[in-house]
Amino acid sequence: MPQRTTLDQLVPGQRATVKKVGGDGPIRRRIQEMGVTNGAGIEMVKSSPLGDPIEYKVRGFNLALRKEQASMIEVEI
Amino acid sequence: MSFTVALAGNPNVGKSTIFNALTGSQQHVGNWPGKTVEKKEGRLRFGTEDIFVIDLPGTYSLTAYSIEEIITRDYIVHEHPSAVVVVVDASNLERNLYLVAQIIELRIPVIIALNMADLATSRGMRIDVDELSSRLGGIPIVITIGNRRRGIDELKEAITQVAANPRDAELRVDYRGVVRDEILIIEELIARDEPLAKAYDPHWLAVKLLEADPGIDRALMGSGMGDLVTAADEARTRIEEKTGEEADTIIADQRYTFVNSVIDSVVVRPREMVFTGSDRIDRIVTHKIWGLPIFLLTMWIVFQFTANVSAPYLDWIDVFFNEVVYGWAQGLMVFLGLGGTWFASLVTDGIIAGLGGVLVFIPVLLFLYLALAVLEDSGYMSRAAFVMDRVMRWMGLHGKSFLPMIVGFGCTVPAVYATRTLENEKDRKLTGFLATFMSCGARLPVYVVFGAAFFGSTSGNLIFAMYLLGIAVALVIGLTLKHTVYKGKPPAPFVMELPPYRLPRGGDVWRHMWKRTKGFVIKAGTVILFTSIVLWFLMAIPAGSAKGTFNNVPAEDSVFGALSGVAAPLLAPAGFGTWEASGSLITGFVAKEVIVSTMNQIYVQEARDPEPVGEDDAVDPTTFGEDLVVSVIGFGEAAILTVQEVINIVPRTINIIPGIHIGEIAFFSETGDVEENSSSLQTALVASFSASAGSVEAGMVAAVAFTVFVLLYVPCMAAVSAMRQEFGSRWMWTQIAFTLALAWVAAVLVFQIGKLLTQ
Repeated sequence: MPQRTTLDQLVPGQRATVKKVGGDGPIRRRIQEMGVTNGAGIEMVKSSPLGDPIEYKVRGFNLALRKEQASMIEVEI
Repeated sequence: MSFTVALAGNPNVGKSTIFNALTGSQQHVGNWPGKTVEKKEGRLRFGTEDIFVIDLPGTYSLTAYSIEEIITRDYIVHEHPSAVVVVVDASNLERNLYLVAQIIELRIPVIIALNMADLATSRGMRIDVDELSSRLGGIPIVITIGNRRRGIDELKEAITQVAANPRDAELRVDYRGVVRDEILIIEELIARDEPLAKAYDPHWLAVKLLEADPGIDRALMGSGMGDLVTAADEARTRIEEKTGEEADTIIADQRYTFVNSVIDSVVVRPREMVFTGSDRIDRIVTHKIWGLPIFLLTMWIVFQFTANVSAPYLDWIDVFFNEVVYGWAQGLMVFLGLGGTWFASLVTDGIIAGLGGVLVFIPVLLFLYLALAVLEDSGYMSRAAFVMDRVMRWMGLHGKSFLPMIVGFGCTVPAVYATRTLENEKDRKLTGFLATFMSCGARLPVYVVFGAAFFGSTSGNLIFAMYLLGIAVALVIGLTLKHTVYKGKPPAPFVMELPPYRLPRGGDVWRHMWKRTKGFVIKAGTVILFTSIVLWFLMAIPAGSAKGTFNNVPAEDSVFGALSGVAAPLLAPAGFGTWEASGSLITGFVAKEVIVSTMNQIYVQEARDPEPVGEDDAVDPTTFGEDLVVSVIGFGEAAILTVQEVINIVPRTINIIPGIHIGEIAFFSETGDVEENSSSLQTALVASFSASAGSVEAGMVAAVAFTVFVLLYVPCMAAVSAMRQEFGSRWMWTQIAFTLALAWVAAVLVFQIGKLLTQ
């Protein structure tokens, strides 16, 4: 059963589909350019030893985002 | 006919490697005018063709939110290269094709270099290159493996062909629905303005307007076409009303949809997201527990490189220049009949010494740039930023700021250049500013001398305290700025790719090292050389009458002495208000290493011997040939010692663990190194400082105050000129003023409080 949450809430190994990228102008644009767009599959890999930023796998490569940015991305598990 | 071809692509796709392969040694590195982004140009020879190649900065997209994107886009749009070669990472096709799509939208001939084909294959991907080419409008695609130099000739051939017979890309990303309608409306408005439609492709311009591209908006409003921008705004509102999404989101979406449809028909991929070799390495490198220790270990090794591994060559150059070449120059002067004249002294003490002061930087920089290049090219850099980001943010910086800070412990100059990896201007400036408080290697000799003179066996504590103080000051300043000047300004986002690990290619790393070092030597070299000569004159000109003749005057009575004397009283509250102290500090502005040698000259009163060099004067005459042989042997010894130092990193690291002690290796037995009048300098220092401070105990406090001053005050000329280059003159002056003031306040505080405490 599909569940809605934000990207920063995923646990290591969990996969989700991007539903909506929030945030404003430059940051959102940047995140989208990197391939985090509506409908993209994304997987949480791990968080940094100190907790932040978080590493994800998307469109075949590894991307690191801060919790702040990740919390603005809605996903569906 | 000569053509120009531009190289574009995502970061980390091996674009530089391809550039190097295409241009070989025929390349020139500089800066984009007015910007701090590296600009690489070169020439490519194929058959009878002579083609200019320009390496555009790596970008993920062609919006206008970063300098790299602006440079890339402006170049393609305004300079009209004959073709653009987009270097694409075959194992990362989706994101790379996103950029390709945007470049194709610019209607310029495109060639794709499908790089890292081996990586893709090892991940189980198979790409139908012909189908891909046709899906993208028939653009030529060449398969390359850059770091093995495969496919380069084919690429050169493709470039020459396209340059000679350019064919505009025929492909358009097919936007759909509401967005498509609005694009058409705006295209029509554009087409009504002929010159505009000629300058930019109307379709591309329409898309950019709908994306509210700041660069385009600004350009159009600036040339009086604000109504277009307004029309675009209205279109964006309509789109949002009808779809519930913003225009740029839909456009990015649709581009990726287009890219995906291309890929689906072209790439065969294993179902599961592959667990790659890099992921395996990252299991440990960014591990919850091991991540930090590994990072610290890596930084320790970088530090060892800069501090110890560069030392043998540094010593060799020091000796070679200040003794061997110095001797040759003297000999030459005698030969020319100029022995003993002021001109001879200018050449030897001014110019040669000055040159030596510059060249002595070379080993340090080479090793630093080597470490930097290996870290960057291997892909570790981004992992380190990933691990350190939280700590850096606490200080008001960015994860990527850590490296310039670490490098700053070796030398401030490469630390300033290392700030280029930061995307945000404010982060760059702040990091460069704080990096100067990471006590650089050249300040160390001062701590050592003072530590030995005043504290004997406990000198280690003084040295350690200085390093800690530097770090503490940087922390406090960073925190203060974060909560005052920068308060409320949102931190720059952290959106960073963790590229696959790669083995850096030796040739590329080497070229990188040399080019950067050479750049520094030429730029800063002229400044330092000039200043050395000026200093020589200041020391040679007698101040006031009847005190001596040109170049035959004790330092105290020269113009230099007079000027230092003016500054001296300012230092009295810090306990060292003597012309000798202020004079030494002034020369430290040229290069920090110079402080100790100046102190030798000034305090010990020996070296400034203006007697003419006659043939009967030479203590130990050597022939040119003998000198040469000794120098070459010395160079060889330095090479061996360098290897020794690299190996010794291991025992040194292990010895950090308390209780364990492994001996370090030494290829040559300790040849009682030149003591260099150190004890006479030390005695002189103790005497002078005790006198200026009022008592022996106060003298010790004053000595600490002096080292604090040296830690905090203005960085050397080379670093300052690097700052001017990267951050602009105004920032440079701010830094100079601030560090001077901070150093003075700190030294005075230390002395006054210390004096109270020891009474």
